[in-house]
Amino acid sequence: MKKTLLTLSLLGGLVTSASYAQDVEAFRDAVTSGSATWEEIQARAKEEGEINLYYWGGSDQINIWMDRFAAPGLEAEGVKLNPVRITGTKDAVDLVLAELGSGKGLGEGSVDAIWVNGENFATLKRQNALFGAFADKLPNSANIEWNADDPRALLNLRDFGVETNASEMPWSGQQYVCSVNTARVAKEDIPSTFADLKGYLEANPGKFAYVKPPHFIGNTFVQAAIYAHNPDGNGAVPFQNSIDDLGAAELARLITPGMEYLKELDGLLLGASGSGARYPEDPSALNGLFLNGEIDFSCQFGLYGVAIGLRDGTYPEGAEQFIFPEGNMIKNKNYLVIPANAPNPAAALVMANYMASVEAQASKLEVAGMPPGIDPWRLSEEDVAKLTAASPGFVGITQQELDANTAPDTNATLVDVIEATWLEYIERKSTDPIDVIVERAVANLN
Amino acid sequence: MARRNANATALSERLSPFQKVYLWLVAGFILGPFIPLIIQSFAFRWAWPDLLPSTWWLEQREKSVLPLSWDYVISPYSQVWEATLNTVFIGCAVTVICLIICLPAARVLARESFRGKPAFEFFLSMPLIVPEAAIGIALLMIFIQIGLAGTYTGIIIVHLIPTIPYMIRMLTAVYQGLGRDFEEQAMILGASRWQILRMVTLPMLLPGVVAGALFTFLVSTNIFLLTFFMGQGKIITLPTLLFSKIAGGTLDASAAGITLVVTVPGIILLVVTERFIKEEAFGKGFGN
Repeated sequence: MKKTLLTLSLLGGLVTSASYAQDVEAFRDAVTSGSATWEEIQARAKEEGEINLYYWGGSDQINIWMDRFAAPGLEAEGVKLNPVRITGTKDAVDLVLAELGSGKGLGEGSVDAIWVNGENFATLKRQNALFGAFADKLPNSANIEWNADDPRALLNLRDFGVETNASEMPWSGQQYVCSVNTARVAKEDIPSTFADLKGYLEANPGKFAYVKPPHFIGNTFVQAAIYAHNPDGNGAVPFQNSIDDLGAAELARLITPGMEYLKELDGLLLGASGSGARYPEDPSALNGLFLNGEIDFSCQFGLYGVAIGLRDGTYPEGAEQFIFPEGNMIKNKNYLVIPANAPNPAAALVMANYMASVEAQASKLEVAGMPPGIDPWRLSEEDVAKLTAASPGFVGITQQELDANTAPDTNATLVDVIEATWLEYIERKSTDPIDVIVERAVANLN
Repeated sequence: MARRNANATALSERLSPFQKVYLWLVAGFILGPFIPLIIQSFAFRWAWPDLLPSTWWLEQREKSVLPLSWDYVISPYSQVWEATLNTVFIGCAVTVICLIICLPAARVLARESFRGKPAFEFFLSMPLIVPEAAIGIALLMIFIQIGLAGTYTGIIIVHLIPTIPYMIRMLTAVYQGLGRDFEEQAMILGASRWQILRMVTLPMLLPGVVAGALFTFLVSTNIFLLTFFMGQGKIITLPTLLFSKIAGGTLDASAAGITLVVTVPGIILLVVTERFIKEEAFGKGFGN
């Protein structure tokens, strides 16, 4: 008797989980095909009740914003936000892939959404770990430009050159900006090109460092240097292609002058006169060097980095932003992605919709200094005014200057190769010619 | 600290200058690192080459939109309170389970001899030899499959791996020191098994058990890697919270505050059990 009961309950469990899986699958298909109405999604989200958002938790401001603004905002929608702070976005991606690998499919994982961009998104896409096209089907999708004919839509349609296919919601738009400590550097000495920077360092050796690749903030500095030294003189243009389209030999030719410049720069960086150039591991280490005056310039993503840094004491009093490198200040967006095995997909959609609202974007901008990810030309004048009022402001530069010096990101497939080349050529001081290193890096990737 | 100083003055007559310098050095090494931490936790901007912060937190406190330094640490946004509760809860659970497993095991290891005992004892120390990362990653794959990843149960189970070997070694030593004589004497005098356990064995074991429990608790509250793997970021403890704050290599005011808070459970526990262990466990328990 007991046995029969056990078998029955086991069978029952199997049946319910099977029908649940079918149910989630049907829901996903309805969402990605656009046939699910917003009311249906909202009702289902309330049933699910919670959403686990995994995000980089290294910033007090973002943590406070999540708890003080995003959580109550979502509670009003009947969804409880569980903000999970992680030290590296890759940890969350690995968790999703590990769960998928152990057979936890749609509706059975533990991650509902991740704050990502670039390689992490490319990894999820390559591993088939995306929920699907949702970002252009929510009410607040109207705040974002999806029309491919408009060149300004590129940042929403491509993430580091990889097509997003609306499987991630643009959350914040950033630009790579350098800051100078004006208490230590005279106005006329502030560099605006890579040649200027090298000249400054020849006179003041050791007063600069950039974040070490493979951290994306370091990768971006390397990319900017490569754009500026492109032998064809067309900057970022060829780097929008994937490695398959471009080919290893052509990539090697394009990056050789940039890599050689970085190699020369290596001898002039922080610590180079002692035990060898010292590359900080991440932006907070870079901030520490900048605050302590060990370096005179600090480059990272952060349109409002100086304004926020002055507000919380992590930047020195004389910090100002400046235009560097001219014409090659890389701009990109970061996104909220829903993985294929999200346990609460409807709640994740409600969260994504909330995050794309003008209210959420404005409070995020004001509190955390994170620039808006929605596109101002899609908004009413009133909403644009709200965002403008919330901005912490630039220090020493203007929006016009920034817009005039914008460059796009590098294709994610090239980022891996360039990163491997940097590690080999500069970190490990390989004496092989660059085309050999690039060829090896490309072969290792496949 | 006050008590330490009082002791130092009382002793000062009897100590040679070398001994005094030595004591000051020890005190400096133990307390020294706390001084910059305490200053940093009250700083707003503290940059090289300033000996003290150029701007203090209290000067900026009113102007700031967001909570700074200690305001952040004690606010719910820092998750310090949640992490402390988790750490203490997991530490207590691990200690109790560890005792339940290790007490009988230690009794057998101390008193019985059986074939393969040395090999078995070596086997028990294996978890201390295999790197935590290897155990962690392999277990994570298994735990994900059986649904234990990201649960308290999962974390408590992995915490038992590095704590059991220590606890067994400690308790075995205590049992060996105890000998059977006292229990036999009680038996001769007509005590029942339960009475012997309650009135003879346990009171004599207690100092060793307390020392082992303290040690297990402290080890458990300091495990980072295994907790990080199993908690999947959802269950935060003081070490994982601290890691996410200071992984970047810079210590801002709120990180310094959290670091100070992290030391509190250990200090409280040490103070509470200090006298007990000093006089009982190390006096009798391990002395044979």
